[in-house]
Amino acid sequence: MDTVDKKILNILQTRFPLVPEPFDAVGEELGLTGDEVIERVRKLKAGGVIRRIGAVFDSRKLGYASTLCAARVPEEKMRGFVEAVNGYPGVTHNYRRGHAYNVWFTFIAPDAETLERSLDEIRCRTGVEDVISMPAVRTFKINAAFEL
Amino acid sequence: MPQGIFQVMARHGDNERKGLFRRLQGDLPIERRFFRDAASREGIDEQAVLDTIRALLREGTIRKFGAVLKHQKAGITRNAMVVWAVPAERVEETGAMFASFREITHCYERHPSFEGRYNLFTMVHAGKGTIENLIAEIARRAGIFDYLVLHSEEEFKKSSMEYF
Repeated sequence: MDTVDKKILNILQTRFPLVPEPFDAVGEELGLTGDEVIERVRKLKAGGVIRRIGAVFDSRKLGYASTLCAARVPEEKMRGFVEAVNGYPGVTHNYRRGHAYNVWFTFIAPDAETLERSLDEIRCRTGVEDVISMPAVRTFKINAAFEL
Repeated sequence: MPQGIFQVMARHGDNERKGLFRRLQGDLPIERRFFRDAASREGIDEQAVLDTIRALLREGTIRKFGAVLKHQKAGITRNAMVVWAVPAERVEETGAMFASFREITHCYERHPSFEGRYNLFTMVHAGKGTIENLIAEIARRAGIFDYLVLHSEEEFKKSSMEYF
């Protein structure tokens, strides 16, 4: 990844040109042809730097409920627990973290009742009782862009 | 709750744009005429796709349109969740201050708080070697010294939500 790639990524993350030929617009700004930009973007995607190009919907604006959960999972139950949790499409992030509460995941569902029911289901199915849910009551920042 | 027209339509799932929403929430192929494929598959023109994206941005139904990166691959090698015990009367100013840091990508007040006192949650992203110093600097600037750094040790799942 060179400095040109980084410039392209910064533009594509923060102000993707909403025009019929966006990569040509990016090229124009950086002194490249549209084809050069497209070739670089395809490589960045093939190399896994770009996960996807599309829209990021705001779950709350769509009326969805979301929360952050922390669970205390004994090592012998870890595999089953992670498998059960990851099986829910509403779980979008799941990490092992260095704490007695060692598994932290985010959960999005159409409404709060579904969310609670799913968490009860997880406790029941995995035998891991200690799963706490900490929904956000105020958002100060959500920024999925990484300035490079 | 939903307020914009697209939010209401998306919520009830009864609109002619649902197919387009489904395409937009996924991954559009890298082509010169970037919006043409989605447009033709939905039987509309490119301008209608662009207009819809602009309207969705305007009403906040989508937070952004663009590239979503895998940050590890982009050289952002460490992520830490840092949870802070902030007195209720200082949550507002501290949250706003945290939000001003480029390396803090997410900042929320959560309830219930973690361990009965950690109520402000931040995600901190930085390159190797700098994250510890950075967190200490943020703590000093905020004047909040009761905090926990929860480093990511293993990624079990990272995906994009499918709403439609």
